[in-house]
Amino acid sequence: MTSLITLYLQGEIVEESIEFTLGELSRASGASTEQLSLWVAEGAFEPRGEATLAWRFSGSALRRAATAQRLTRDLGLNAAGVALALDLLEEIETLRTRPNR
Amino acid sequence: MKYKDYYEAMGLPRTATQAEIKAAHRKLARKFHPDLNQKADAEARFKDVGEAYQVLKDPEKRAAYDRLGEKPDNAEDFRPPPNWNDGFEYSGRGDKSGTQGDFSDFFESMFGGGEGAQRYHPSMHAAGQDHHAKVVIDLRDSFTGAQRAITLQMPVADAQGHVTMQSRTLNVSIPKGIRAGQRLRLAGQGGAALGKGPSGDLYLEIEWREQTRYRVDGRDVSLDLPIAPWEAALGADVTVPTPDGSVSMTVPRNSANGRRLRLKGRGIPRATPATPTGDLYVVLDVVLPPADTDAEKAAYGALRDAFKFDPRANFTGDST
Repeated sequence: MTSLITLYLQGEIVEESIEFTLGELSRASGASTEQLSLWVAEGAFEPRGEATLAWRFSGSALRRAATAQRLTRDLGLNAAGVALALDLLEEIETLRTRPNR
Repeated sequence: MKYKDYYEAMGLPRTATQAEIKAAHRKLARKFHPDLNQKADAEARFKDVGEAYQVLKDPEKRAAYDRLGEKPDNAEDFRPPPNWNDGFEYSGRGDKSGTQGDFSDFFESMFGGGEGAQRYHPSMHAAGQDHHAKVVIDLRDSFTGAQRAITLQMPVADAQGHVTMQSRTLNVSIPKGIRAGQRLRLAGQGGAALGKGPSGDLYLEIEWREQTRYRVDGRDVSLDLPIAPWEAALGADVTVPTPDGSVSMTVPRNSANGRRLRLKGRGIPRATPATPTGDLYVVLDVVLPPADTDAEKAAYGALRDAFKFDPRANFTGDST
């Protein structure tokens, strides 16, 4: 009888241990680098680093960028609208998980 | 194939102007957008509205659609009449804006493939796409770590560039400390590259399986612990369930209903050495047993006589 060894893929938790460059975040979120730059200028994302090429986005930026990309594509929001919507969505989520605080 | 009433989907009369169609689409897209609306049917409604808009916003497609008439007799098993679109010319995938192509059979047979349909040129070299999927895990999986076989539907392009959906099963380790809303990145497990590019990554978005006992807030977990009035008054040693087995806890004497007791470090475990461990909060829920038998009534009576307790003592004076 042969023994089967199943290999389990080990992943990385994006929000805990990953940083993205502008290009990586663009690829993972589906948002273009131009869109991401606009959202940074609007203050919706705050990457580390000064120059665009040195930007490092936190792992949690992926979820926000993916949401921003869908809202832009589906509702035609501009950068200011995206920034506002992201803030409001985050506040709604906080209110949902902590209804008594 | 089922006939789709695009006017009904958008809540508009068949006489609606193009401006009214646009406004209705904007309004309904905001209302049912899956990022903005948590209800279960929101995504389906959103897709219906998007599909309706793809047809009604385009005067030529709209005119062709209108020629089918209102609610055809064979709406449940609809076949377009022969030459139904004579005299109309459109490519079927003119502009790339709007929703991704994921349209009904009705739409596909009338107007061709959805606009998101992709055709790769076989000589192209490009990095594989990043893929995203959702995975539902138990809260317990985050406490202990887990191993899961996950089946995904993935688009795969063949040598001719045709894209088909294939199912693929991956064995994945769910790391300790991962939480709902986070993503797990599996490098190189996304879409295969075209030509000589690198493979894409696979992102698994974590969701909790529905459960009623625990509430999760970041890394902290809380649960309501029912206790008897005498346990609250006299103190007690109780057993508390956690997602990772039971622990013993002491309820302090004279605990009020709603008191929060913290079990430090018993929340969601650390995912990396740099992250903190969560705490478990036990919220006391004092449950009053009903007084049904004579003995039970006598016991409550003895309480009343022993305490001379007036819970409304501060309701004195005028009520304003």
